[in-house]
Amino acid sequence: MKAPTLTLPRQRGRGISVVALDNPDYPERLRQIHDPPARLYINGRLPSEPMIAIVGSRHATPYGRRTAHRLARDLSDAGVVVVSGLARGIDAAAHRGALEGKSPTVAVMATGLDRVYPPEHAELAQAIAVSGAVITEAENGTLPLPARFPVRNRIISGLSLGVVVVEAAQRSGALITARMAAEQGREVFCVPGSIENPLAIGGHQLIKDGATLVQTVEDVLDEFPDLARARARAQARVRAHTRARTRADSGPQEPELLAVWELLDWVEPRHHDDLAATMNLDIKEVSRRLTLLEMSGYIIGDCGAVTRCPRA
Amino acid sequence: MLARALSGTVFGLDGVRVEVEADIADGLPGFHIVGLGDRALQEARERVKIAINNSGFQFPGRKVTINLAPAQLPKEGSGFDLAMAAAIVNAGEDRGLPADAAWLGELALDGTVRAIRGTLAIVAHLDRLGARRFYVPTANVAEARIATGAPVLGVNHLRDLKAHWEDGVPLGTGALTEAAAPPPPVPSVDLAEVHGQPYAKRALEVAAAGAHHLLLVGPPGAGKTLLARALPGILPPLNRPEAVEVTSIASCVGMLPAGAGLLEVPPFRAPHHTISPAALVGGGGAAPRPGEVTRAHRGVLFMDEITEFRRDALESLRQPLEEGRLAVVRSRGHAVLPGRFILVAAANPCPCGFAGDPRRLCECTPLERQRYRARLSGPIRDRIDLQVLVPRQPAGELLRANLNAEGSAAVRERVVGARRRQQERRPHGPLNGALTGPQLRRDAVLDAVGQALVETAAERLQLSGRAVHRVLRVARTIADLEECANIAQGHVAEALQYRESG
Repeated sequence: MKAPTLTLPRQRGRGISVVALDNPDYPERLRQIHDPPARLYINGRLPSEPMIAIVGSRHATPYGRRTAHRLARDLSDAGVVVVSGLARGIDAAAHRGALEGKSPTVAVMATGLDRVYPPEHAELAQAIAVSGAVITEAENGTLPLPARFPVRNRIISGLSLGVVVVEAAQRSGALITARMAAEQGREVFCVPGSIENPLAIGGHQLIKDGATLVQTVEDVLDEFPDLARARARAQARVRAHTRARTRADSGPQEPELLAVWELLDWVEPRHHDDLAATMNLDIKEVSRRLTLLEMSGYIIGDCGAVTRCPRA
Repeated sequence: MLARALSGTVFGLDGVRVEVEADIADGLPGFHIVGLGDRALQEARERVKIAINNSGFQFPGRKVTINLAPAQLPKEGSGFDLAMAAAIVNAGEDRGLPADAAWLGELALDGTVRAIRGTLAIVAHLDRLGARRFYVPTANVAEARIATGAPVLGVNHLRDLKAHWEDGVPLGTGALTEAAAPPPPVPSVDLAEVHGQPYAKRALEVAAAGAHHLLLVGPPGAGKTLLARALPGILPPLNRPEAVEVTSIASCVGMLPAGAGLLEVPPFRAPHHTISPAALVGGGGAAPRPGEVTRAHRGVLFMDEITEFRRDALESLRQPLEEGRLAVVRSRGHAVLPGRFILVAAANPCPCGFAGDPRRLCECTPLERQRYRARLSGPIRDRIDLQVLVPRQPAGELLRANLNAEGSAAVRERVVGARRRQQERRPHGPLNGALTGPQLRRDAVLDAVGQALVETAAERLQLSGRAVHRVLRVARTIADLEECANIAQGHVAEALQYRESG
């Protein structure tokens, strides 16, 4: 059988194309898994750079989304293509983070190319296809049936050198992806969370089973000697971040702002009332200081509850 | 034999003059009412006839015809009973009634005169048209006196009229003979009774000072209802024209307690979330009827669980929120009803109620949360300047003695001051909560640091133009509360903490 079976005006790159298993354009790593898809429908252009997947819960916490966003951006800046599943929560945060970086990103869908799921990510899919690719093994018109998602996950891990799990409950799709990655011989990474957060339990189990704990992008890149160049690029950035981070981590300079900031947590929100009571301060003054902290990026506020803002 | 008696009714919230003409002629004995009366009016035949006979008068055994003029105006209610009785009795006796006297009241079968709705509006209207003497039910005397300087005579019983006419006994001038309850004290909550919650209390103060609409977001049981109930107590007392307006509305919808005079406390209305659009903003029958929005005029409209209200009911709030009044069109005519209130809305943070709660994980999907939020549409949200998160109170907080909590009286004093500053700036114009963009450019003058903060915030928080206006309106009120002519950085900084969550 001769591929390609179908192409639109076959300019290499933009537009929709179909790549079969025996096509030289078929991604090499994916070809090596034991059940590779027979053909891939591609919107955009599949990048040739090394890929790493970031997956996680659809009901992610703000902490999870921030972390996924930051990791993806740093990986992208280091020259790594971030692969994810275009789902809500962590997946979307990873794609958006990667789009902010210098490299393209790849979204692997469980549905046909004509049907973006979830529908509110149609614009995101468009943006991804401009520089990277939205791919699927499903025919046009395929519905988002539950059974299709675990099957799709093998493509995410198959394309990638490793899989980073950000937030995953027990028995979640992200854990399935991690298990497939291990079966396919890929590295598995995990970002830890609070032990009180149900979404961290799945990931912590992975760490107990031998997954690599991830705090920064370097923890990921260190596992791949082939990515030394990317690591060097990332290192310079991470150093600069660390400097900024140390500054941010030690809080603001102004004593009155520092006094508030020191009472805040990185993860758990604290309410204005609580702060006013603890500091024995007028609520107006608390509000004023919180706005000033927020405007200089030290905290994140949400109509009455605030957390520290982790910089990166 | 013919006699005339002046009376009136209400249409929407306005008084309408109605002349009651009674004719007694030879023919088959009977009693007819003409002039587009509704069912309650047709039944007046029985009431009036029996009341007359039970009061020492004799209902004429001839053909009695009542005409209600103007004849083309549809009339409803039972307020014409007294006028009909007076006209019939005097037509039979061939005694002239004073042409400038007005008669209001419903009759009981024994001849007692019962209170009616809308006395204030009717008396005010007839007073303008030249009526110089008012015969009203005793329970409505105090109300009628608000509207006119002319003599108001309380009629307790038809028999009193007989004694008045035949023996010259003076009519009561207002003392309640029956045990009519005095107006009950308003069930208002003092801020000092609300434990903790300084952030939400401050938002209430700002809402009261600038007449800003407020959204309280919090889990069930956090105290949102209690906070809302405390708002009327920190609003300035109504001035005389406002109080007359509020009293007249209460009278028209039958909410004025018997014997009550001027209402000076702003109203508080809390409709249930199953309310229909017509009941909320007005409408209902064939004639325009005021709804909850109008009943809350000059006061507070509290909508608990606002996301549970019917969508069409919520959308019907748009006109009153934007214009402070609403036009109601029904088959029997249209009316413009007033509806300028402070909206206090309460909602859960998400369908399960636990979003943002550090102890419990919210189990709602983002889509569910988004749909929940979307139930409050953009145009309604745009009008809500203040949004605060009301956290669940720890049990310890509720038990702790409320030592230094500020009472409503102290807060009200600051609110009154802030209102005065707004009135000095715009004697006729809107309060801060209703300032438009161009008005804000004139009124909300920022100092340089404040200006810089607004620009940083717009950039960092990606505020829309409308969101910036909301922040400026609130900052203007905060500056007014602190008696500052210009808006300083601190005012903007505080205002930003009441913005809608992202």
